Amino acid sequence: DLDLDAMGDVEPTRTLEEARELWQRHEQSTQDLAIGLCEQLRLILEPTLATKMRGDFRTGKRLNMKRIIPYIASQYKKDKIWMRRTKPSKRQYQVMIAIDDSKSMAESESVNLAFETMALVAKALTQLEVGQISIVSFGEQTRLVHPFSQPFTSEAGTKVFQHFSFDQQRTNVRALTETSVSLFESARALQDIRAGGDELWQLEIIISDGVCEDHEALKRLVRRAREEKIMMIFVIIDALHGSRKDSILDMNQVKYETVNGQMKLNMSRYLDTFPFDYFVIVRDVKELPGVLSSALRQWFAALTQSS
Amino acid sequence: MSDQTSDPQSQVQVRFTTRHADVAVPTAPILVPTTLKRYGLSEVINHLLDTDTPTPFDFLINGSFLRTSLDDYLTQNGLSRETVVEIEYIRAVLPPSHLASY
Ligand SMILES: [Mg+2]
Repeated sequence: DLDLDAMGDVEPTRTLEEARELWQRHEQSTQDLAIGLCEQLRLILEPTLATKMRGDFRTGKRLNMKRIIPYIASQYKKDKIWMRRTKPSKRQYQVMIAIDDSKSMAESESVNLAFETMALVAKALTQLEVGQISIVSFGEQTRLVHPFSQPFTSEAGTKVFQHFSFDQQRTNVRALTETSVSLFESARALQDIRAGGDELWQLEIIISDGVCEDHEALKRLVRRAREEKIMMIFVIIDALHGSRKDSILDMNQVKYETVNGQMKLNMSRYLDTFPFDYFVIVRDVKELPGVLSSALRQWFAALTQSS
Repeated sequence: MSDQTSDPQSQVQVRFTTRHADVAVPTAPILVPTTLKRYGLSEVINHLLDTDTPTPFDFLINGSFLRTSLDDYLTQNGLSRETVVEIEYIRAVLPPSHLASY
C-alpha cells in the first residue's frame, strides 16, 4: 500500500478548492524565504560536485609535469602536455519530505507551521533543481502523497495539502522510518537504471512535533538508514503558540528499568534520548532556512570526515 | 506495513496539577508509560518532589478518581493518546495500609 494508487481509497480531508487556497496562501507567505533557502542550499549542495584536472591535451589550464620530459625527448612531438578540468559527474538528490499528520500536531497548534514548512522546503528544492522530491504523511499510517517520479508543481502541492487532517490517533515514527527506507531503496533502483554513473544522494526531512515512542528501536533504524547512505534530518516544530507555552526542551520522560531484579523509575530529559542524530528545533518558519542549512552543512562535514 | 501491534513502550503525555502548593511539581508535560496506575503515578510525583518519605497520592482525571491504568482509562473514555492528559493529584485519603490493594 505504498503506491499512489492506494491513495484512491483514502478520502481527501478537504476539497480541492480549500486545499488550493491553503497551498497558495502558504506558498506566497514563504516565497521570499524559499528563495533564501534555495540560495543557501545551492552553496552547500553544489560545490561538493567532484571536479578533477585530467590530462592529456594539446591546450589546457595546467601543465602535466609527467609529460614534460617525454615532450622534450620526443623533440616536442608528444605535445599533449596539458590538463583540463573534466566535466563533473552530476550529483543527483532524492529528497523525501515526511510530515506528521497525527492529532498531537493539531493539539499543539503546529499545523500552520507544518504547512508553511512544507511549502517552504518543497518550493526551495524545486527551484534548486537538484533532483526529485517526494512527500509522505505519517501517523497511524504512513502514506506516500507525492512520488519521486512526478514533478512537484503548485497543482501537486494542492493535492498534497488535500490529504492532511492532523487527526491520526498515533505517531508511528518507527513505521515511517521503515517505510522511508524501502521507498528510498526502490527509488534508487529506478534512478540507477536511468542515470547510469551519476551519484545519487538521498535525504529525508521529517517535520513533526517530535513526540515519538520507542527511541531505542528508532536509533537502530536510523543507523541502518545511515548505512544505506540515507540522511535523515528531523525538524521539530516546537509550537509555543499554545496557551500553555510548553516547549519540548522542558519535557521529561519516565522509564522503568530493571536494576538487580527490581523495577526502578528513571526520569530523563526527553530530548536526551532523541534517536535522530540531526535534529533542529524551529519555533518560527523564518528560522527554518538558517537551521536547515546549518544541519545540512554539518552532515556534509561529517560525511567528508568519515570518507 | 510495519508492525503496528507490537508496542513495547506505549507512552502518553501527562500534565500534573495540584491545589496543595507544598507538593506542587513543574507543569511541563511528562511522557509516562500508559501502563502506570495510581501507585506508579504517585512514585513519579514523589520522584519529582525528591523527599525522603514518600507521600501517597490519589489522582483525578476530569474530576473522577483514577482506579485503573492510564491505558484502560483512556480506552474506556475514548480519549486520544495524542493529547496531553491533565491529571490533578491530592494527598491520598485512604490509610496507607489500604493503598497496596490498588
Ligand atoms: Mg503525535
